[in-house]
Formats: sequence, structure tokens, C-alpha cells
Amino acid sequence: MYKLVAKIAWASLSRRKTRSVLVVLMIAVSLWGVLFLEGIYDGMIEQMIGNAIRSGSGDITLFAKGYRLDNDLGKLITRTEEIERLLTSDKRIKTYIIRIRQDGLVATAQYSRNGSIYGVELEAERGHGRLDSYITSGEFSFGGKNRGVILGARLADKLKVKIGKKIILSAQNLENDVSSMAFKVTGIIKTNNMALDETAVFIDQDKARDLLLVPEGVTQVCMILHNEKDIPALQDELRKHFSELEVFRWDEIYPALMQSRVMMEWFNLVISLIVFCVVGLGIFGVMLVSVLERLREFGIMLAVGTKFSQIRWIVMAESFFLGFLGFLAGSLLGGMTLYYFYVNGLDLTMFSQGLDVFGMDAVTYAVIRPDYFVTALTAVSLATLLSVLLPLRFLKNARPIETIRKV
Amino acid sequence: MFLKIAIKNIVAYKRRSIVTVALTCFTTALLVFASAFWDGSHNKMIESAVEIYPGYLQITQKDFRKIPSYDNLIFDARSVRNALTKISGIDTFGERFESFVLFSSREKAVGGMFTGIEPEKEERLSRLKKSLKKGEYLSPGDHAKLYIGTELAKRLKVDVGDVLSFVGTGADYSFAADNVTVKGIFQTGLFDFDASAAFVSKSYFDYIMAAQNYATHFIVLPEKPQDVEDLAATISRKLGSEYQALSWQKTMAGLVQAMKVDSIFGYITLSIIFIVIFFVIMIYTLLAVFARVREIGILRAVGTTPSQILRLLVLESVLLGLVSVVAGGLIGGALAYYFQLHPIVFPGYEEQFKQYGLAASAMPAIFSLSTIVRDMIVMFVLTVLSTLYPILKVNGYRPIEAIRHV
Repeated sequence: MYKLVAKIAWASLSRRKTRSVLVVLMIAVSLWGVLFLEGIYDGMIEQMIGNAIRSGSGDITLFAKGYRLDNDLGKLITRTEEIERLLTSDKRIKTYIIRIRQDGLVATAQYSRNGSIYGVELEAERGHGRLDSYITSGEFSFGGKNRGVILGARLADKLKVKIGKKIILSAQNLENDVSSMAFKVTGIIKTNNMALDETAVFIDQDKARDLLLVPEGVTQVCMILHNEKDIPALQDELRKHFSELEVFRWDEIYPALMQSRVMMEWFNLVISLIVFCVVGLGIFGVMLVSVLERLREFGIMLAVGTKFSQIRWIVMAESFFLGFLGFLAGSLLGGMTLYYFYVNGLDLTMFSQGLDVFGMDAVTYAVIRPDYFVTALTAVSLATLLSVLLPLRFLKNARPIETIRKV
Repeated sequence: MFLKIAIKNIVAYKRRSIVTVALTCFTTALLVFASAFWDGSHNKMIESAVEIYPGYLQITQKDFRKIPSYDNLIFDARSVRNALTKISGIDTFGERFESFVLFSSREKAVGGMFTGIEPEKEERLSRLKKSLKKGEYLSPGDHAKLYIGTELAKRLKVDVGDVLSFVGTGADYSFAADNVTVKGIFQTGLFDFDASAAFVSKSYFDYIMAAQNYATHFIVLPEKPQDVEDLAATISRKLGSEYQALSWQKTMAGLVQAMKVDSIFGYITLSIIFIVIFFVIMIYTLLAVFARVREIGILRAVGTTPSQILRLLVLESVLLGLVSVVAGGLIGGALAYYFQLHPIVFPGYEEQFKQYGLAASAMPAIFSLSTIVRDMIVMFVLTVLSTLYPILKVNGYRPIEAIRHV
């Protein structure tokens, strides 16, 4: 029976080719558009979050109590050995880094700016957040004698320095005096983490210890996990284990990014809702007309003994075919487009100056999530199902048998 | 005659008419309001970013923007001042000298911007005075009095009345240092600015930094902000090639482009909704037109020409489009007008705005008749276009075919 129902449904769809093709096309195009928007917008946000995590906070950051509100060098994390031992042994943690930070002054012969001096271990940073991939000029190294610095791109721009230029770093040391040291610019880095690009001065960690008179202890420990899902649990454990430290998730360090992500989710939802409501309206119109113009046909079918439930199945099958074909075409089109941008990226270099203001990368790589397609399938199914309910009711009330007699 | 038949048909095919009008009206209203809101909020963001400190028009020595060193200062501020007084269209102008120093309080040393300003002129040129949070704003004769950003004060742990010292380089590359008293604390809402800027009166700055008659730049407030680019050109011409006068469109090019990017993404998003909506309009037109295939066939059979039928059908679409676009324009325009008077507030998103350097959380729409009419025309053309395919298709039938069409 189902085969027959499907056959009849298919036949009546192909009888009205233009109409059916238009509906399928409409569903496909709208799906394609929605998938494209979701994938690109999510890609933008995730890239911003990724940049911030890789270059700044990690998934989880440890500070000494009170350091976050008042970046005072006196507030150091002291039990570093014990912490490192624990972090190395925990299977959930992929990598971690330690940093020493102090705000100070960066000066060239002509000009000076305030900057944040970060004492880092380059090799660890490379493995941790692939910091080396953000280098825009020069190299990811502090030179032979570790006398080099890697400068944030905006800071370098403000100071008008290039690779090889000499700069003087001055900062307050642990004994509350101001100490200075000369360095040479070996690299310039653009992470699109705005705080870093604006102020960061990366120097060798041992040099930082010399400059700031910090023989031991660090200001920040960041870790990246294998799986994002483990973050809350690990945060709790670390909190219990190190009561003298403050343990932050990345979204506590960068609340604005989390806000962007949530806002984008809502935005996508609203757009999809509008689009699929309109799509539903389109299918509804077609189904209603196709039911109305076949009142006689259905009347005859009922007269020769077809059950109403069978007719209902035929109508539903028609709308299901339309929806499913549209979904297939749209998913294929959307999926392929997203895959293209997932591999090649959407290059918006022509707007890079403007994107910089938002802290966005010039090239956006699309995200493809299975739930895009699941949501789309649900939405299309709902739209097709809801859009036949009214025509079916109409059909039932019209008493098709009586319509046979009408001319 | 055509008009009468068209109106009759519109009334007769209610479903198509209602759906077309409702959808087009909705899209037009959406587009009109979205454009008004984007334009309005972008203007607001730029305006607040410009007015807080950078100013509408900056004059510097010609190489200063490329190499902002003490070698490229304005070394004869007096002559620039004299030249500017002779140019019309200028509301106010003032000079500034920006330098970077290391501030140190009893507890902390922090690098920051140390700028000499003319306090009485700055009242009009920027929002510095309006941003006063605690203590007092500067006055022209102030000696060793500092007006400091709230975040910078917090980092240095100083309050109004406290003394701190600074170490920097004078305009003649000499060593410059002094003790200054905090007179006032300001908060603009721009975190970076509040965390790095401090001001003294220009007279004191000139004395302590050996900057008599020097300036890094002049800020000009035009009488008509919209004419700022013309004014910049005039000033450049009058001052000669030694100086450079740039409007905010140039000095803040990144922000201007960012707003453009934001609009582009907005329009892309809307266009996806529009495409779907026009598909639906096309489908409904198709249904309505094909319900009349026989009628059209008979008309043709009795001698109506295809071009007459085309005219009739297009006239119907045009009428429907016109009604819905006008209604949508009115609704969208009303919304734009309402939200121009009552800006939309985003209380939860201050953090995000601040990150982008925007010190505003209430965004107004802007009511601009020309933009509304532009959007209405776009929508009208799209609606009529989306009905063309079904119309042409039905008109392609031969009369006999059409009459027999089931």
C-alpha cells in the first residue's frame, strides 16, 4: 500500500513540475543560506575564542589570589613545582604554560608606550597555543643571547619599530624599584587577541626573572585540555587542591567573547526561525492549492472505496517528498559550500582594517557541525507537516464526494 | 479599463494578494528599520569614538603620522594658531602635546600617556570635562595638577589629592621629571583610554617638558561636522605642505571600515531572508496565475493580444507591490522614527561594546527619508521581478493549450 501511496504522490508532484521544482528550490536555497550563515558566523566567533585561548587564557588559568583585579607582581604563584607535577600527570590536560607578567614602559630612541612584559618559554608556547603561527614578521625566537623581544603588532605599529630595532624595557621590579634592560626586536606577532596585540612584549622567561628580580614563582599558569567538556570539573578540582589560587575558565577571563557566542546562537536561531516560517508558508500555499484543485479526483477515489486515511497519506507523502528533496539539495549545497570555506577559508583581507577593530581574523574558516543538519531536518519536517494540516482539514470538511456532482 | 480589471482580479484572488502584500510589507518594514538602525547605531558609535578624545580633525606636522617622534613636532604652534583664526568654518581649535612617561606612585610604576591640553578649549573639543568622575577638571593656569583616567588611577592606587611622580623625555630630549597632584579623575567608558591617559594643562607641560610653542597636533572642531572633509582640504591648503590636516574619516579609517563590514554582514543576512520570501511570492503568483490559465486562454481566443495580457498581469503585481511597499515603508519608518527618539538600550552588552572601544550602550535608529525611499524602491523592484517568471510562463501558452489546461 505504501508503495502505491508513494507512487500516486510522486505522480501528482511530477504533473505540476514548475510548481514542485520551485518549492524544492525554495527549500534548498533557504537551507543553503541558513547553513552558510551559521557555519561562517560560528567560524568567526570560534576563531576569536580560539585565538584568545591559545594566546592568552588557555582553557583554564591560574592566578594568585587577587592578581586578576590588581596585577601586582607581589601576588605570585609560588608552589610552581607541585603545580607542574600535578598538571603533567593529569591525563585531561594537553599542554600548559607558565608566564611572568609585569606592566611597564617600552621605549625606542624616539618614542615610548606602555606595554605588558611577558616572560615566556618559547618552546612551551609553541607546543601549547602554536604561538609561532601568529608571527607576522621576523622569527619566533629571542636570538642567540636571548636578548630579543617579540612585540604585539599594534604596539610595534605605535612604536614604529621593525625587526632588528633596539628597544628599552622599564618596569617596576619586585623590590619596588624601576629597572631597565635593552633588547632587540626579533619578531612581531599578531594574535587578534586585542589586549595582547596592543600591549604584549614577550621576552625570555629567565631574562624576565633578571629584569624583575623574581627568582622563583610565576604570575600565571594556563592550560589547554584535550576536551572542552572537562573544563568545569577540572576547575573545581583545582580550586579544592590549591585554595590559595584563583582558578578561572576562559569565559570568565573573556566574558565578552562568551557573550558574543551566546548572542550568535540566538541570532542564528532567530534567522532560522524566520526563514523556516516563510518556507512553511510557501509549502502551505502549494499544498492547499494542490488539494483544492484535486477535490474531484479525491471525491472519485473515495467513491470507489479509497479510505480517507489513504488520501491523507498521499497528501502527506507529497509534502514529505517536497521537503525531503529540498532538504537533500540544500544540505548538499550548503554542506559543500561550508566544506569549501572550511578548507580554503573566506578571505576578507580587503576589509582587514575594519575586521581588526573587532579583533577578527581576515580569513574565516567555516565550522561544520552535525547539529546544523539535524536542526535543519527538524525544521523542514515541521514546516512540511504543519503546512499540510490545514489543507487536510479543509479536504475533510469539503466532503469530496459531493464535489463530484458539481460541475 | 486595465486598472479596473486588475483591481477586480486582485480582489478575486484574495489568498495571493494577502500573502504577497503581507510578506512584501513585512520585508520592506524589516529592511527599512534594519537600515535605519544600522546607520543610526554606526553613526552613534563613530560619533562617540570621535568625540571622546580624537576629535573631528587633526593637524600634525607632515611626517608625524608616519614617524611620531620629537623630530616631527609642530615647532611653531603660534603661526598655526594665527593661520587657523583666519579660516572660516572652524568652531574651536586647540593644541595638544602627547608624550609617554612612566608614572610612579608610592606603590606602583605604570607607563601611560602624559598629555598637555588647553583645558578651556578642550571643554568643547572633547568629552574630557564631561567625563569627570571625581575631584575637579583642570583650569588653564594649573601647575603640577593631574587629570587622570580612573583605571590608571586604580592601577597606581592614587586618589584625588594624592601626589605621584613621572619620568619622561622632554621635547628637547632632556630628562624630565616632577611630582604632580591628582586634581581630578575621569571615566570615558573606553577601558584602554581610561587605563593609560593623564592630562595636565599645556602651560605646565610646556614648562616641565621644555615644549614652549611646540605641539604634537592641533584638534579642530568644525562648525558643521558633516563638512569636515572640505574643511580639512581648506586647512591643508592654507597651512602649506609642511603640515597635514586629516578628518576623522582618515584618522579613524579602521573604525569607519569596521562599521561598513558590520553593515555588509547585516545585509547579507537579510538578503537570505529576502531570497526565501521572494521565492514564496513567486510561488503564490504562480498558483494564482495558473488558476487563471483557462480564463487567459479564453481572453486570447477572443482576440486579446499577449502584450495586453502581460500588461494586465504586470499591472496587478505593480499595484500589489506598490500597496505593500508603501505600507511597509510607513511601518518601518515609524519604527525608525520611534527608535530615533528612544534609543535601544543593550544593558547586558556594555562589556562587549567596551572591548570594541565603543563607549555607548544606547543605540538610536536614524530617520532618513532618502534611505527609506531607497529601500522601498529596492523592495518594489524585487517584488515585481519575482512575479515576472510565472507571468511570462503562462503567457507563453498557446490559446488552445491554455483553454484545455487542467
